[in-house]
Amino acid sequence: MTELTAPQVVAAPTRSDRRRKLLQNLLRGERPYMLYIAFVILLVVFSLSSPWFLSVDNFLNIGRQTTLVSIVAVGMTFIIIARQIDLSVASTLALSGMAAALAMSQINNSWVVGAVAGLGTGALVGLLNGILTTQLSIPSFLVTLGTLSMARGLAMMVTNTKPVIITNETYFAIFGEGTFLGMPVPIAWTLAAMIVGILLLHYNVFGRRIYAVGGNPTAALYSGINTKWVTTAAFVLTGTLAGLAALVLSARSHAARPDVVQGMELDVIAAVILGGCSLFGGRGYILGTLFGSLIIGTLNNGLVLLGVSSPMQLVIKGAIIVAAVAFTKR
Amino acid sequence: MVSAISKSFGGVRALRDVNLEVRAGEVHALLGENGAGKSTLIKILSGVHAFDSGAIEIAGQPVAFDSPAKSREAGIAVVYQDLSLVESLSVGDNLMLGREPLAHFGFVRKRALMAQAAAMLTQLGIPLDIKATVGSLPFAYRQMTEIAKALMGEVRLLILDEPTSSLTSDEVRILFDAIGKVTRRGVGVIYVTHRLNEVFEISQRVTVLRDGVNAGTFVTPETDMKRLVNAIVGSDRLALPRAEPQAGRAVDPAPVLTLSNVSNDRLRAVDLSLLKGEIHGLAGLIGSGRTEILETIFGLRPVEGGAIEIDGRPWLPKSAADAIDRGIALVPEDRHVQGLVLDHSIERNVTLSRLPYFSRWGWMQQRAAARRAESAVRRLAVKAEGASSLVRTLSGGNQQKVVFGKWNDPRPRVLLLDEPTVGVDVGAREEIYGVIRQAVRDGSGVLVVSSDLVELIALCDRISVIVNGRIARTLVRGEIDDAEELHHLLQLYQASGQDTAKGAPQELPA
Repeated sequence: MTELTAPQVVAAPTRSDRRRKLLQNLLRGERPYMLYIAFVILLVVFSLSSPWFLSVDNFLNIGRQTTLVSIVAVGMTFIIIARQIDLSVASTLALSGMAAALAMSQINNSWVVGAVAGLGTGALVGLLNGILTTQLSIPSFLVTLGTLSMARGLAMMVTNTKPVIITNETYFAIFGEGTFLGMPVPIAWTLAAMIVGILLLHYNVFGRRIYAVGGNPTAALYSGINTKWVTTAAFVLTGTLAGLAALVLSARSHAARPDVVQGMELDVIAAVILGGCSLFGGRGYILGTLFGSLIIGTLNNGLVLLGVSSPMQLVIKGAIIVAAVAFTKR
Repeated sequence: MVSAISKSFGGVRALRDVNLEVRAGEVHALLGENGAGKSTLIKILSGVHAFDSGAIEIAGQPVAFDSPAKSREAGIAVVYQDLSLVESLSVGDNLMLGREPLAHFGFVRKRALMAQAAAMLTQLGIPLDIKATVGSLPFAYRQMTEIAKALMGEVRLLILDEPTSSLTSDEVRILFDAIGKVTRRGVGVIYVTHRLNEVFEISQRVTVLRDGVNAGTFVTPETDMKRLVNAIVGSDRLALPRAEPQAGRAVDPAPVLTLSNVSNDRLRAVDLSLLKGEIHGLAGLIGSGRTEILETIFGLRPVEGGAIEIDGRPWLPKSAADAIDRGIALVPEDRHVQGLVLDHSIERNVTLSRLPYFSRWGWMQQRAAARRAESAVRRLAVKAEGASSLVRTLSGGNQQKVVFGKWNDPRPRVLLLDEPTVGVDVGAREEIYGVIRQAVRDGSGVLVVSSDLVELIALCDRISVIVNGRIARTLVRGEIDDAEELHHLLQLYQASGQDTAKGAPQELPA
């Protein structure tokens, strides 16, 4: 019979230890592997069943199609880790797009004005969500259910539901149609959002605070963390990212429409949960979110290539999401 | 009943050939430090864990459970430390939860339900109001509801896991009466506790576990406190003195913290001074305002009147962050709710309160944080694989050490401790006392709230008695040297609390 192991003295970290640590940092979560396995299985299945699936063009296509969900999902990861939810992201995106397009058409047709207006509008909606949630102690589910409706209504009111045409070529190049380091800019912006998200969540004090606020809000408060401020900041970040997504969408379609991306919040939340975030807070990681939204994007793309009817697509997508979450939950 | 049970988790053997026999109608106390294997044994008996080898018999029949339901069927009922009641429902509803008498279409027959619950309680001899909402009951009555619920159906063995840890002495009395009634019906009781005096009061026999093995079974009337402590701690560690002589540690008469006339919704004109290098105790009954004094200093409650000075400079705490900035630290009363993020690693917990120290312009210095956490683990002798272990996996005493680790380095000017050793075993308790004494030696002032009066007397230079949100009296070391005496004093001031609150002359030592 072996003796009880004594408390281990921790040796100095070797290089392989450090590499493992880094990997853990990136793949934080209880069972991230399920997610990657699911993604690979998806790729294999679609590759075998559709001759058009396995091509660089198609992957770029998937990347472009998932841009909006991926960008917003980065913010949603912070929100869900902090034990909150934001249902208003799609409406915020629509309103920000309108704000950007209108600002450009009113002021000098300047892309800078458009970008500032779009991001600023998103940030403002986020700030409103954050303040209502933390200062009035209304559950964020209800707050954002309200702002979902308000933001969409506002977006439709400003032009009486008419789209606003955008004509600034620089704006198209920067946010929609240009390339950056060989990548289409929408994908570059997605990567930028991911990197900022990873830095903030895993390498910044803000990330530590987000995890603590979601893991145990009372203990966070007793550790001197301003939980209200941290929660509000997560909402502002998400709103701003919805604004960024709005710039990308409107630059790609050369116009802002008030009725775009209805119901996108569900794809965003599904991506984050698929990616390993706990709805109970305190757990999750950005890279998981990326794979979560890639899985959703790949599903959308693959099912279309297979010629599945769009009602059937919805059924299959829903079923796969539920199954994946059932597998990956702890 | 239990023979030669072994259980390993990963590479760690949690139990080795443990034997335990409980007779019908007996209260059998189970003692041991945190991590000695008590919880594991209980989890095996209740079907939460399987065992690797050995056998369990009930009334001579070998049994094996692979689920809590099977254990329940075999007649084993467990009452855990954290209660499993629905607070918004009545006592009756809670007792009958999951076995409600039903009419057609699943409608509950409310009157029959209440009648059955009442009959059950009368039969047990437990005096509870079945209509009372559980959330509105004092803790002892909730506990009794829990016990009554555990006893629904055929029960041969009742396991109570530290049932008195948050009860007042009157409530303990009520609980013990209820246990007596249960054993008279022939139910065997396993009583897990940290409080040795209760063992002598209620049990017929005692089994002690240490490091996962039997450290002896005693017939209670034939043993004494010393022998039990010996078995729990192991003879080598018994030599630790409870009260350390205060030599080599000078109390600097300069106050590090002064409260004058501090008032808010729970405090009334609190005057208090904490000296540098002093351990100052706050004694009082639960609800007297002890915790609120600490929380007010820590910025968690507003100061509505009066003034606070820290190091001679006036200061009004605005928030916990503000207090931490000033060098104030709080080890809160409930480590699970207020002290720790259980699902996070030791490192994350230890660095949480001091994030600015581990970052530059907001970016984490991951390596510095990890190093600091590892050194905290080592210095506080936290039993864990390393700083990346999840706090949830640690025993109570080790979790408490992690809470101390949040404030260990740099030393706080003022260390506020709220019940620092509740649910902490004897060995870890001594280690925590060591940490506290080291802090004052390094110049911190310590303000400690404790219900353990022996602990207060052993630790403190001065003790203030709190009654109804104000300080009724401050005692200096030597003025009182017996927990019994302090206890009487508390009861006395509590009884005359109204008078002292009106400002009767207070005997303050010079």
